[in-house]
Amino acid sequence: MSTVALPRAAKAGSYIPRDPALLVPLLGAGVLIYLAVLPLFMLVMGSFQAEVAPREFVYTLKNYQAAYASEYTYSTFKNSLIFASGSAALTFILGTLLAWLTERTNTPLRGIFVPIAVVPLILPGVLESIAWIFLLSPKFGYLNVWLKDLFGLQTLPFNVFSLPGMIWVHSVGQVPLAFLMMVAAFKSMDPSLEESAMMSGANTWQTFRRVTFRLLIPTAGSVLLILFVRTLESFETPALIGIPARLYVYTSEIFLAFNEYPPDYGRGGALAVGLLVLSALGVWLYTRSTKESKKFQTVTGKAFRPRQFDLGAWRWAGLGFLIVYFVFVVLLPFLVLLWASFLPFFAPPSWDGMQKLSLENYRYLAGFRPFWDAMKNSIILATLAATAAMSITSLVAWIVYKSRLPGSWILDFLAFVPITVPGIVLGMALILLYVAFPIPIYGTIWVLLIAYVTRFIPYGMRAASGSILQIHSELEEAAAASGASWWETFRRVTLPLLRPGLVAGWIYICIVSFREFSTSVLLATGESRVLSILLFTMFEQGQVTVVAAIGVLMIATLLSIVALFYKLTGRVGLQT
Amino acid sequence: MVRKSRGVITALGLLVAVLVLAEAKTLWAQSLDELHKAAVKEGGTLNFYATLAQINAEIVLPLFEKRFPGLKVNHVDATSDKLVARAVSEARGGRILGDVFQTPLENVLQMHDQGLLLEVKLPESAAYPEGLKGSFWVASDLQFFVAAWNTTLVKKEEEPKSFEDFAHPRWKNRLIAEPRDLEMVLAFAKYKFKSDEKSIDLWKKIALNNIEFHKGHSQLAELLVAGQAAACLTCYSHHFPIRIKKGAPLNYMLSEGVASINGTAVFKNAPHPNSAMLYARWVASLEGQKAMAQGGRNPAHPKVEPTDKTRTEKIYFITAADLKEFPKYEKIWKEIFKLR
Repeated sequence: MSTVALPRAAKAGSYIPRDPALLVPLLGAGVLIYLAVLPLFMLVMGSFQAEVAPREFVYTLKNYQAAYASEYTYSTFKNSLIFASGSAALTFILGTLLAWLTERTNTPLRGIFVPIAVVPLILPGVLESIAWIFLLSPKFGYLNVWLKDLFGLQTLPFNVFSLPGMIWVHSVGQVPLAFLMMVAAFKSMDPSLEESAMMSGANTWQTFRRVTFRLLIPTAGSVLLILFVRTLESFETPALIGIPARLYVYTSEIFLAFNEYPPDYGRGGALAVGLLVLSALGVWLYTRSTKESKKFQTVTGKAFRPRQFDLGAWRWAGLGFLIVYFVFVVLLPFLVLLWASFLPFFAPPSWDGMQKLSLENYRYLAGFRPFWDAMKNSIILATLAATAAMSITSLVAWIVYKSRLPGSWILDFLAFVPITVPGIVLGMALILLYVAFPIPIYGTIWVLLIAYVTRFIPYGMRAASGSILQIHSELEEAAAASGASWWETFRRVTLPLLRPGLVAGWIYICIVSFREFSTSVLLATGESRVLSILLFTMFEQGQVTVVAAIGVLMIATLLSIVALFYKLTGRVGLQT
Repeated sequence: MVRKSRGVITALGLLVAVLVLAEAKTLWAQSLDELHKAAVKEGGTLNFYATLAQINAEIVLPLFEKRFPGLKVNHVDATSDKLVARAVSEARGGRILGDVFQTPLENVLQMHDQGLLLEVKLPESAAYPEGLKGSFWVASDLQFFVAAWNTTLVKKEEEPKSFEDFAHPRWKNRLIAEPRDLEMVLAFAKYKFKSDEKSIDLWKKIALNNIEFHKGHSQLAELLVAGQAAACLTCYSHHFPIRIKKGAPLNYMLSEGVASINGTAVFKNAPHPNSAMLYARWVASLEGQKAMAQGGRNPAHPKVEPTDKTRTEKIYFITAADLKEFPKYEKIWKEIFKLR
C-alpha cells in the first residue's frame, strides 16, 4: 500500500494550514468520539450514581452490589451462559453442516440451497421469535399440535417458553451468519492437504475427521466466539420468550431495571457495564484469534477449487437434511406468519379456520395511522442511517488506509468500538446522554438515527475499507499529479471507484437498520416508533394477527431491498 | 300598579337569570373553544402517555381529533410501568415531554410521588363522586378484572360461577393470569371476604393449579382465544365483547369482579398545556365519556353506561385509599405465586 499525497503543513508551526484536508482526520476523530465514546462515558458515570430522592443523585458503588451480589445474580449469570453457549453451539453445528453440504459435498441440488440458507437473515429477530411462539407454544403451537396428533402423544412435545426454546429460536435466526462464515472457510481451504490424505489411503470420513476438521479448528473457534458474544448481546428472544417464561438474561435484566418503578438506572447501568466488558473481551479475543489463525491460513495465490467429498448413498441423506431444514426452519416461520395474517384471531390451521380467512387485517392496517408512521420512520431511518454511516466510514477508511497520517490507527480503533457495544447498552447510554442534551432530539427519530449510525459504523467500515484497499494509489496519484486537489481526487477518482463496495455496505446497513430492535426498544416513543417496536408493543397488547400482517409487509419491504441489492451488485449473499 | 311592577320585576328577574345562564353557557363553551384555539396555536400536538389499548384508542382519539380540528394526538402507548419509567427518565434528564398521563390509578399516584403531575380541579370533575377524583386526577374509566374462558376448552357444565371454583384441581395447568394483578388478593381480602387470611387461603389454593403468567391483559385475552389456556383469572371484561363479536370462542364471568380506576392527569410543565387541559376536560365530560364507551371502555361518569355488558353484578371496588396498601398486597401476591 502506498500513500496518496496529502498536503503537508509546510514549515510546521509557521502558519496554520489552509488546506482543509488536515482538518478531515480531526473531524473524523471528533465525530467518532462523539458517536462511540461519549455515550459510553455517560453510561459508566450513570452506573455510579444512585437516586436518593426524585432527581437527586449521589455517587456510590451500591449499584454494582445490587447488580452482581443479589439473589438473582447467579440465575441470571447461569441463564445467560447456557443461552449464549447453547446458541453458539447449535448455530455453529447447523451452519457448518449446511456450509459443508453445499460447498464441499456432492449432495444433489446443493446449489439452490445456498441462497435459501441466507434468506432468514432478512427475517427480523422479533418476527422470528413471534413465528416460533406460534409454532411451538406449549398449548397451541401449530407444530406442537401437529406432532401430538401425528404420534398420538398425551402432551405437547415442545415448550418454546424454556431455555432450550430460547436457544432454538435464537439459533435458527443466526444460522445464516455461521453458514456464511463457514462457507468462506471451506472455500479458502487448500484441497491438496485432503488429497494427500486420500492418496495415503484415508477414506472420506477419515479425511474429514483428521484433515478437514483439524484445518477448521482455528476458524471454528473464532466463529463460535462471535456467535457467543452476539447471543449474549441479543435481546429479541430474551424479550419475547425469556421474559414471559421468567428466564432472565443480562439484556432482559437491563431492560427490566429500566422499566420498573422507579426506574433503576444505576443497577441497569452497572449491568450494562458488565455486559459491555464481557462483549469487549469476546471481540478482543475474536480479533486476536483471527489474526493468529492467519498464520495458519490456507489461502494462497495458487488457483484451486476445493475438492468435493463423494458422500455415496449418504448424499441422499444430505439432501434430506437440506430439505427438512429448508421446510422447517426457513419456510415454516414465513408460512405461519402469512397464515395468521389472514385470521381475525389466532386459530390453528383447519377447515374451520379456512372459513375465517380474510384480508381484514390488511384492510385494518391500511387505515391504521401508527402503522404508516412507523413504516415511514423505519424507511427514513434505514436510508439516512445507511447514507450517514457509509459517508463517515468511506472518509475514515480512506484516511486510515490511504493517508499515512500519524495516529490514523486511532480512527480505525474508534470506528471499531461500537461493535463491542450491545444494542440495549447503547440504547441505555444514549438515553442518559440525550435526555439532558441541550438540543432537544430525545424522543425524536434523530436520536434513533444517531443510534443506528453508531451501531453500524463498524459494518460500514468493513465494506468501505475492503473496497479502498483494492484501489491502487496510482490512480489517485495521477489525479494529484494532474493538479487535482485532495477533495477533487476523493470526489472524482476515489469515490466512483469505491461505489460498488459502498452500495453493498449501504444496502446491508439499510437492512440491519430496518430490522433493528434492541437499541430502539429503549429509544423509540410514540412519534418516533419504528416497525420493530410497533410489532413488539402490539404483540404485547395481544393483537397477534395484525402483528402477523405487519410482519408480512415488513418482510415484503425487506425482500424488495434485497432484490435491489442483487440488482445493483449481482452478488449472492451478504457480506459478513 | 304594584302587580304590574311585580310582573315587570319577575320578568326582569327571569331575563337576568336567562342571560346569566346563557352567559355561563357561553363562558363554558367559550373556555373549551378558547382552549381549543390556544391548543392549536401552541402547536396542535398532544403527547398522550396512556395505556389505552390500540383497539380502544383508534376509536376514542379520532373522535377527539374530529371534535377539535387542528389537533393531533401523539399516543405514546406502552404498559403502565413502562410509561411511568419513561416519564421519570425524561424528568431526570430535565425534560417534560408528556402532556396527559392516563393509566391505572396506581401509576398516576407514582407519577404524583415523583412530583410530575399538576394539581388541578377540572370543572367537569364536579359530576364525579368522591373516590373517582382527587386533587390531581379524575377517573377516565373503570376496568373490571373478571374470569374468562375459552368455550372450546371449557365444557358448559365446567363453567365457573365464582372465583372459588378455580381452586378445584380440574383447572390444573389450565389457567393464565397477569403477574402484576395484586388487586385480586387485595380486593378479595378487603371486600369479598373482609379477611386477609381467607383471601390468601383461596389464592393459595388456586396457585396449586400452577398458573401460567403473561404480561399485558390484551395478550391474556388473545392467548385465551388461541387456546394457550382454558381460562384466565385476571382478564379485563372490556376485552371480551369486541372479540366475541368477531366470532372468538370466549365467554366471561359477570357474577363477581374487581373494579379498578384508570385516571387522567396533566403533566406539570407540560409542553402543550392547553392541549393537555383540553383533552383532560373533554375526556371527563359527558361527551368524552360517551366516546370512551363507544371505544369499548367502561366509563367512569355516573351518567354514562358502557356500550357492552362489562360491569359485574358484585363489584369489589378498589379505592384510591386502597392504593396505599399495594406494597403489602404485592408482597403477598408475589409470595403466593412465587413471582419476581
